[in-house]
Amino acid sequence: MTDSNETIVMTGATGFLGSHLMAALVQRGDRLIILGRPQGTRPLRERVDALLASLGATPKKHQVDVLEADFSDPSCGLNWHQYAGVCLKATHFLHCASDTRFSETNRLASIQTNVRSLASIIELARRSRAAYFHYVSTAYVFGAETSSCPEAPVIAARHANVYEETKAWAERDVAEECSRLGIPYTILRPSIVYGDSRTGQATRFTALYHHVRSLSAIRDIYLKEIRELGGEKARRHGIYLDADGTLHLPLRIHLPRRGSVNLIPIDYFVAAVLAVLDRPDSDTIYHLTSNRPVSMEELACYCERFLNIRGIKVHYGPAPEGFAPNPAEALFDKFVEPYRPYLSDIRNFERRHTDVATEGIDPPELTYDVFERCMAFAAGANWGR
Amino acid sequence: MDCLEVSAEQALQMAKGCRQYAMCKIDFLGTGICESGADRRFVAYYPQGRMLLYAALAEGKIPVTARAKEIADGCTLCGKCDYQCYFVTGMRPTAVMRALKRFVVGHPQPDRAASDADPLLAEIRAIVGSRWADSDPAVTVTYSTDPCPLADQRIPRYVVLPESAEQVAALLALFREHGIAWTVRGNGTNILGFALGDGAIIDMNRMKRIEFDEKNWTARIGPGVTAFELQSEAVRRGYRVCVAEGAASVISSIMTSGILSLLSTAYGTCASNVVDAEFVSREGRRFSLNDKEAPNLFAFQMTDQESRFVCTSATIKLHPRSDDEAGVLVPFQGLDDAVAFARDCAVRRIGFGIGILGAEYVSSFISPTQAQAVTVKETLSTKLGMEYLVVVLGDRHALRSVADMGRPLIDQKLFRTLNLGLNALGAAEWLELLTEVSQEEPFSYLKIQGFSELAETALGPSPEALLKEVDPDLRSFYAELYAGSEMTDLVWLNMFRVTSSRIGREKHFFPILVYLPLEAELLGVLVREFAAIAAKHGIKHDLGFITPVDDGKRCMFEYDYFVDHTDPAQIADFRVAAGEVGAVIEKYAAKTGTIRWLRYLLHQGVCRMENLLYC
Ligand SMILES: Cc1cc2nc3c(=O)[nH]c(=O)nc-3n(C[C@H](O)[C@H](O)[C@H](O)COP(=O)(O)OP(=O)(O)OC[C@H]3O[C@@H](n4cnc5c(N)ncnc54)[C@H](O)[C@@H]3O)c2cc1C
Ligand SMILES: NC(=O)c1ccc[n+]([C@@H]2O[C@H](COP(=O)([O-])OP(=O)(O)OC[C@H]3O[C@@H](n4cnc5c(N)ncnc54)[C@H](OP(=O)(O)O)[C@@H]3O)[C@@H](O)[C@H]2O)c1
Ligand code: SF4
Repeated sequence: MTDSNETIVMTGATGFLGSHLMAALVQRGDRLIILGRPQGTRPLRERVDALLASLGATPKKHQVDVLEADFSDPSCGLNWHQYAGVCLKATHFLHCASDTRFSETNRLASIQTNVRSLASIIELARRSRAAYFHYVSTAYVFGAETSSCPEAPVIAARHANVYEETKAWAERDVAEECSRLGIPYTILRPSIVYGDSRTGQATRFTALYHHVRSLSAIRDIYLKEIRELGGEKARRHGIYLDADGTLHLPLRIHLPRRGSVNLIPIDYFVAAVLAVLDRPDSDTIYHLTSNRPVSMEELACYCERFLNIRGIKVHYGPAPEGFAPNPAEALFDKFVEPYRPYLSDIRNFERRHTDVATEGIDPPELTYDVFERCMAFAAGANWGR
Repeated sequence: MDCLEVSAEQALQMAKGCRQYAMCKIDFLGTGICESGADRRFVAYYPQGRMLLYAALAEGKIPVTARAKEIADGCTLCGKCDYQCYFVTGMRPTAVMRALKRFVVGHPQPDRAASDADPLLAEIRAIVGSRWADSDPAVTVTYSTDPCPLADQRIPRYVVLPESAEQVAALLALFREHGIAWTVRGNGTNILGFALGDGAIIDMNRMKRIEFDEKNWTARIGPGVTAFELQSEAVRRGYRVCVAEGAASVISSIMTSGILSLLSTAYGTCASNVVDAEFVSREGRRFSLNDKEAPNLFAFQMTDQESRFVCTSATIKLHPRSDDEAGVLVPFQGLDDAVAFARDCAVRRIGFGIGILGAEYVSSFISPTQAQAVTVKETLSTKLGMEYLVVVLGDRHALRSVADMGRPLIDQKLFRTLNLGLNALGAAEWLELLTEVSQEEPFSYLKIQGFSELAETALGPSPEALLKEVDPDLRSFYAELYAGSEMTDLVWLNMFRVTSSRIGREKHFFPILVYLPLEAELLGVLVREFAAIAAKHGIKHDLGFITPVDDGKRCMFEYDYFVDHTDPAQIADFRVAAGEVGAVIEKYAAKTGTIRWLRYLLHQGVCRMENLLYC
């Protein structure tokens, strides 16, 4: 890929995965054209430069072109001159942009961004005579009830939210359109991504971070009440400070069944994608997933240790009749509501294509050390607020 | 009580900043009112008047007279007005009172006021008593201004305070004979310049009689009775009246706007609350609304009216209350949904008061200081997405119906928690997180079991926590006030309206008021038009309130522009904008045939509500 005639057109570079990928591509000398959007009055160029700087990547002159785009427009919102310029230079496409919100209230926007916009981007790839179209999807295109998930197109699934649904829909469209137009393509399906396992760094803090941040917010409510107001309410909720300074915070989490959470760090994701970009197999799907998903109990332990709290208990099966959550439990329950389907996951992801393409690159385990590094970084960055 | 010492220049700025909302004329905090004001009744003897007097003296607009010295001396520096004014505007008037005292001492006064030689003044005094009429500039100047950016200063020749309808009739006859123009005044809070005039100002402040006729569910009141005073008396007897701004004279409010109140949802507006009223005509003729031969004051015309009658008493309806009343706030991200909800409640006749309130309104009312109001607004609208809050007041059956409608809501208990804990709201990360995860159903976190308890735990609400940014010497007094339930009781607050004048705390506000169908589309169009005009002229603006009337078929709608009334540049910008606003209202009024502008209601406030809304 570092061939001097090759240029990757990239979308979603201002997002979590995209920004780390962009930085890695810059660091190894690839030429990039970034298509994205400004943020309010902040131009895209400024956003891209800031992200590259924060990730320690310094592009050479003319290494990174930045174009403000609108994928809902058939010409991607580019003027004739910009469009022709892209067509002339682009050799590969890496489509990372996506509406990653789960909410049904955003259905129309999700369909527009994740599905309808594909047409203009693939058309740009066709006109550029792109050698490859790489599409970043998600491992969760399989419904929650599928236990065995092959690196193959999804035929039918019951999706947990509009995000999963539109990603699956987009996969089908990418495969169909690229095949019809004769563009070789790959589909990259990461599971849930967290920060850099070596440095803890991340540019956005969702998914795993959300749970830890939620617990941390609950902990802080009670610590403050105990320290500043005497802790009467905390005691009423069964919450108090242990002699060793640990907050006793009883939280009973009811999950429908035992499962696990498939997590990979961003450094593994980046390394695996770079490997696939270097040796892609046409029309192939890759699962960028962990071989050792973590259990909820393990995650609960990590959280307790990191936050200096005690009392999280995971229960499987329906909550007992008359179960009355204390306010902290009710709050936590609300916090994790959108993420519930991912907390008792039984999906197993096959990795045959990935293992071949990324030989020697294995997903690292989520140990407590890695967890702590990542969460400390996130807390230091005030969870991206 | 403590006072802050300020320079003469600072005192002048503060004096000119007086909003003239007359809150120092009612005992809304239980401090009692300025004693000299209660004794002499002229505006000049109240803190508001002394502020205006100092500004006029310091700017050399009037000379120091013996009356000015008497007014300055009348202040005992008791400090009551600090509590009152700070509560509303954040200002400490006693600093101005000190400056006024220093100023009059430093300037010698002539022995006798020139006004004493005026034969017409003598005639006026013969009617009302020598104490109750004056033409001294120290008095008249305090009736010469209005914070309205459209109003120019007009110093009247005389100020007179009659005590009875007979005296009013005699005064009108005298003025007619001498060709003296007159203007009646309640407490001058119309904030549209309507109570200014060059001739005589007839200040109704001595006519404060309230007579209850409980058999007939009415109270007969004089034109000097304020909304706060009447409501207090009514509540003491177990009733409620439909009145508006606390410091406004009830009769003046009726004459000006027919009474715009959240309570109008149930009790109507204009003549709906007036069983009878007595008037004196320009010609000195006395009549009552209920006379067969009386002029038809029930009619409404869409044209500017002039003042033809002085109302000398009104018989106001009393409404029953129950002991299970409370309020709820239902938050909304968008105006359309808020309108639909408010309409739904009004059509089903749920509650006795409904209003859609903008974030600026709510944050101003609940915040003891302006800095807090800014943070609270930011938190409400930006962080929590609560752009609009629909307040519904009702008994337990009404509130159960609201709950059954299934919307997430803030009940009375949670409201108190949020209000007393508002300093912790801005930093409440848990609330931000809840907002993030509640996109599916905005504000659904309010339905979390035990949310109130949780909010109490997290926000640590208490009067002390709420008041920690308030001037230290005032804190304990306010803490006692907030320790009681009234200041956070949505029903009490809407009945007594003691916090609503905080809307003008950052700078004075200009209300744009129209009656129109309660339709989201039309309201949305007007909101966008008013917002665009304000933005074009760099004017701060926000939706004030929308209240359904007549079963939700129509509503009263207030949109506010905020203008520093002491800044000529802002006034100039506003005047251009006001012309454009007027054109927009006229355009849509002509287009729809259903819009009524408050401008035309002045002096027609006792018309039938139906005549106003539908004729
Ligand atoms: C902070 C604030 C909030 C407000 N909120 C509301 C609100 O929610 N609802 C509402 O309706 N208004 C509201 N107002 C406006 C104001 O309270 C009313 O317009 C009311 O009329 C003012 O009463 P006043 O005693 O101050 O009257 P003034 O300002 O003294 O007089 C108003 C007009 O009535 C005439 N008038 C007064 N007395 C008589 C009489 N006896 N006979 C004939 N004409 C008379 C005057 O000549 C003048 O034209 C608000 C004002 C402020 C400052
Ligand atoms: N994060 C994970 O754990 C994870 C797991 C599985 C799969 N994925 C997939 O990985 C990809 C990147 O995810 P992410 O976590 O990095 O998401 P992210 O942080 O939410 O970033 C999304 C990116 O898409 C861009 N985007 C969104 N809507 C757009 C629109 N309408 N027009 C143009 N650009 C738009 C965003 O631009 P702005 O910055 O301007 O908003 C941003 O660059 C997605 O395809 C996602 O499905 C992520
Ligand atoms: S300090 Fe003076 S002006 Fe203020 S209330 Fe007391 S006596 Fe009146």
